Formats: sequence, C-alpha cells, structure tokens
Amino acid sequence: MKMHLAKTALKNISRHKVRSILSGTAIGISAMAIVALFSLIQGMSDDMAYNLKTYYTGEVRVKHVDYEINERYNPMHLTVDWESVNDALEQDESVDTYVPRITFPSIFYGSNYGAVGVGADFAREAEFQDLEGSLKAGRLPENGKNEMMMGATLARDLKLKLGDKVTVMSTTAARGTNAITLEIVGLFAFPVGSLNSKYFWVPLDRTQYFLRMEGSVQEVLIKLKEGVASKAAAPLIKEAVEARAGVEMDIRSWEELSTTYGMLKMAQMVYNFVAMFFFLLGSTVIINTTMMVIFERMREIGTLGALGMHGKELIRLFFLEGTFISMIGSAFGVAIGVALTLWLSKTGIDYTDAMSGMDFEMSSIVYPQLSVGRTAFVYFYSVIIASAATFIPSRHAAKIEPVEALRYV
Amino acid sequence: MNNKIIVLIILLTLVVVGSVFALTGEEIVRKADDMQIFDTSEATGEMRIKDRFGIKVSTFNSWSRGADESLIEFTSRAERGQKVLRTEDELYLYFPDAEEIIRMQGAMLRQSMLGSDVSYEDMTGGKDRVSQYDVELLGEETVSGHECYVLMMVANVRTVPYPKEKVWIDKETFLGWKAEYYTKSGRLLKEIEILKAKEFDGRLIATETRISDKMKTDTETIMILEDLKIDIPLEDDLFSLEELSW
Repeated sequence: MKMHLAKTALKNISRHKVRSILSGTAIGISAMAIVALFSLIQGMSDDMAYNLKTYYTGEVRVKHVDYEINERYNPMHLTVDWESVNDALEQDESVDTYVPRITFPSIFYGSNYGAVGVGADFAREAEFQDLEGSLKAGRLPENGKNEMMMGATLARDLKLKLGDKVTVMSTTAARGTNAITLEIVGLFAFPVGSLNSKYFWVPLDRTQYFLRMEGSVQEVLIKLKEGVASKAAAPLIKEAVEARAGVEMDIRSWEELSTTYGMLKMAQMVYNFVAMFFFLLGSTVIINTTMMVIFERMREIGTLGALGMHGKELIRLFFLEGTFISMIGSAFGVAIGVALTLWLSKTGIDYTDAMSGMDFEMSSIVYPQLSVGRTAFVYFYSVIIASAATFIPSRHAAKIEPVEALRYV
Repeated sequence: MNNKIIVLIILLTLVVVGSVFALTGEEIVRKADDMQIFDTSEATGEMRIKDRFGIKVSTFNSWSRGADESLIEFTSRAERGQKVLRTEDELYLYFPDAEEIIRMQGAMLRQSMLGSDVSYEDMTGGKDRVSQYDVELLGEETVSGHECYVLMMVANVRTVPYPKEKVWIDKETFLGWKAEYYTKSGRLLKEIEILKAKEFDGRLIATETRISDKMKTDTETIMILEDLKIDIPLEDDLFSLEELSW
C-alpha cells in the first residue's frame, strides 16, 4: 500500500508539472540562498579567525595585566618584560611560534596624519606569518636602522614612495613625547584593508629605543602547535609565564579577546533562525499549491474516499507529494548553492570599497567556504520543514467527506 | 560752620587724591607683566607631573630673552636633548632622532608638553596682556595670605590661548599668585597657583608653581625653578633655529 501511495504521489507530481516546479523552485531558491549564506558566513568567520591570530592577538596573547582597563589612556608604560616571557615560552611544549610586538599610535609630522606603528622582530615574524608574501615593493626594515615598511594604501594616500623619509611623533613609555625620522624601505599589502591604510612597521629595537621601552614589549602573540586548543592552553601558559616573570599578566586566548569574532559566532546562530524563516517562507508556496491541488482534486478525493481510502492514507498521499517536491527542489537548490559557493571560493567577494575606512579585522576580499556538514544540514533542514508544512493542507483533505466532495462534480 | 567746611574740603581732597593714585585694571596687569619680563634669564628646573599612573619627574635647563624668546632643553633621561624654542612668532620642537625641526601649529599646539598639564599653546601667549585683553577690576581678595587685586580679562584678539582669564595679582609685589583660565562660555580649563616665590633684584619671582588642567581628571604639574639667574649675558644666536639643532 505504501509503495502504491508513493507511486501515486509521484504520478500526481508529474501530472501537475507547473505547480510542482513552482513549489520546488521556491524551496530550491531558499536552499540555495541558505547554502550560499552559510558558506559566506563560514568564509568570513575563518578569515577573521586567521587575521585575528596572525595580526591582532595570536592564538594566545600576553599583555600587562592593567593594559586593557587603561587602554583609552594609551598606557605605553604598561609593558611586559620580553626576556622572562621569552624564557618561559621557549620551554613550553604547546607553543609553536611567538612574536613580540609594540603597537603605538603616532602622528606623521607635515601631513599630521594619525597612523599606527608596529614595532616587530622581522626574523621572528617571518616564522609567524607570510611577511615576504605581503611585501609588495622594496624590502623588510633592518634591525638597528631607522627604517619602516608602510601600508601600500597609506603610502598612496600620503603620496609617499620608497626612499622617502617620514618624521613620526608618538608618546613614549616615559609618558613624554618623542619624534624620529624613518626611511620607507618597503611597502606591504596585508589582506585586511585597515592594516594597509593606517599601519607602518618598524624594527623592534628601534621602536624600543624610540619609545623608551628598552627590554620591554607591549605584547607577545603566540601561535600554538597543531591540535592544541587555545582556550585550554592559555591558562597553562599564563601559569608558566607568570611563574618565570614573577608578576601577574593578562594572558588569554583569542576567542576570549575578540568581541567582533564573538559577534560573528552569534551571527551564525542568528542565521540559523533566518534560514528557518526562509524555508517557512518557501514552504508557504508548497502549502498554497497543495491547498489548491486539494480543492482542484475534490472529485478525486471524494472518489478515493468512496472507494475506501482512509483519512490517514490521504494525509500520507499529500504529505508524500510535498516531501518529494521538497526533496527534488532542495537537491537542486543545494546543488546550485554549492556550485555558486565553489565558484565564489575561487574568485572571492571584493569588499574593498565597502570596507574602506572601517577598522574591522576582516579581509577586503572574502572567500566563502563550503562546509559539507552544514550543506547536508541545509538539505535535510529544508526537506523536513517543507514536508512538515504540507501536513496543514493534507489534514484538510482527510477531513473531507466523500458525499461533500462529490458535490464538486 | 567753618570747621565743617574745612573737614569737607579735606575729605574731598582725599577722595580726589585717592582716585588719582588708585590703579586701573590695565595698570595692574601691565605692572604684573613688567615684573615678569627680564632682559635675559637662565634657570634649571624640574616638572613633577602627577597623573593616574603616578608621578614622573622631568628636569630641564631654560633661557629667556625679553618677553618673546625662550629656550627649554630637557635633561632628564627619557627626554634628554629634546628642546622647545619659542621665538617672537613661532614655537619649535627639536628631537635628537628627528631629522627635521618640528614647527608647532594649529591643533598640535594643544598637545601636552611631556604629558604634563602645560600645553605648548601655554608657552605662546605674549607677556603684554593689556593689548590682548579687556581688563576689569573685580575687587580685592586674600590668596595664601597675600592681599590681591582680582581681575577678569576677556581677550579682544583670537591669537591668545584662552579667551578669558581671572587673575589674582599681589597688591604690593604685583606677582600673580593665582590664575584661572576659561573658555568663552565660562568653562574652567586650567588653574595655576604659585606655591613659592623668591625675591631677585627687588622683584618677586615664582619658583614653584602648580598647574592643573581641568579637562583631565586627577592630574597636576608642579613646576620648580632652581638656580635662577637674571640679566646675564647670553649668546646672540641662542634662540635661533641653527642653534636649536646643535
């Protein structure tokens, strides 16, 4: 009997092609949009995670315990002792690489442009990130020399080129002012737009000298070995570093530090609800067409009832019709969504103009990332919701009395 | 009857003589400014800057000539070699690691000097305040045991750092013991109070001054002058840009 119902359902679908295609298309479009949306969010999330770990916080970040609460006062004097942190991290089994950095707000004399300097150990940075790959012109600054590499966008905006000199003013760790003239020896282009339009990088030793920070750094960014969970590793690193340094420090994992990433994760949850609404919206088309089918096929329903088909079987018949349409529509929608995502994951979506001027840890070009698990989830999710939606009109069909149905003849 | 007339004449005479010899607001301010202008001066000193993170001390040597030329060279470790030159029209900063001399102008002038409560703009105000402000004598008050004239000065030019100043000037020595600086709408921006003063060649000169920027919370700067020498010979080109980078 079940097999017979399934055959009847399929026959009904093929008999009413236009209606079936319309219903299937609505479900398909919803499924395609959600696959693409989830892939985009996944791409954004992966991209932001990479940028945060590479440029902003590392997987675990070491900072002075009071730095964050005083951040708005630019507390350049709240530093950590590089030697003791280095000693502790060198012996830590969970640590892969780490870099010391000093990030300092500054003003370029002449243009009065507010830029952000980063004091970095370029030899260590080469192990931490693809620095050479980000270098678009010139070379990396050398230790002991008053040199800088500048974001290509910043150089373009200020009409500066390789070989030009810039006098930079900033607040020192002694809470005074200092200025230094630096030669531009390299131009870089990191994936994050704001890093290219606001930042310049200086050798760590010159930054320490300029900012009166001898032996100290503002932060240490750590990358962990493959498979080590940052949330679990951070407390252990904290214990080891504090024991070596003898002072309390702010050592946390990147997930705990970034509010933007937390918001993106929250957005993923919100998008799950958005997806549900999309499917419900698509399902209204199925409800509507099934309802129309039931009214149009009153005579058939009456005949089936008169021949002894029970209400439950009628529900099952219309439910199966809806389920088959959902399965076919979702399969097409998911397939198109996957194809679209695979194409976009190669070409990327360029947000350069939209992101200009925004201080956001996301790359200017985002590559959507397909997740097999999420895609399968979208398929089953859409089939279940759309099928469930057909119950409403199907139940109506079951309540029709044969005598009443035959009145439509 | 005759006695009454004589008494009346004497009283009138006293009032007339008194009003003739009473100083106007402008005269008080002019005298105060004159007391602070020297042909030349040289001093060493220190700034004790207190903010939310603690107390920081910066030491310096300073020289001045007349009302408009001055040079400060910082000697403390963190700022050693940095110089601030004020000429008649401009203010320049010299940093040993910068290849160019920095001319302070516009918004840069509002920056704090070494994180203190003193802004670079504070160093630009002329010492001839009578020509820049309309002065009103408000009355008399005692400040730290010194009888003072209280004057309100409202700027009539736009080139001064503060549109309104309220000053307490000593009736005897014409030293300004206290000053408050306001915005045009009357918001208090800065407060200066002299804590110690010393007599040099018959003139009382502030040697310890407390400056408090009211736009910041819980900050103050104590400026201390030591080894002050007045009217000493100085090299002619001491206040020149060429000399600044030496």
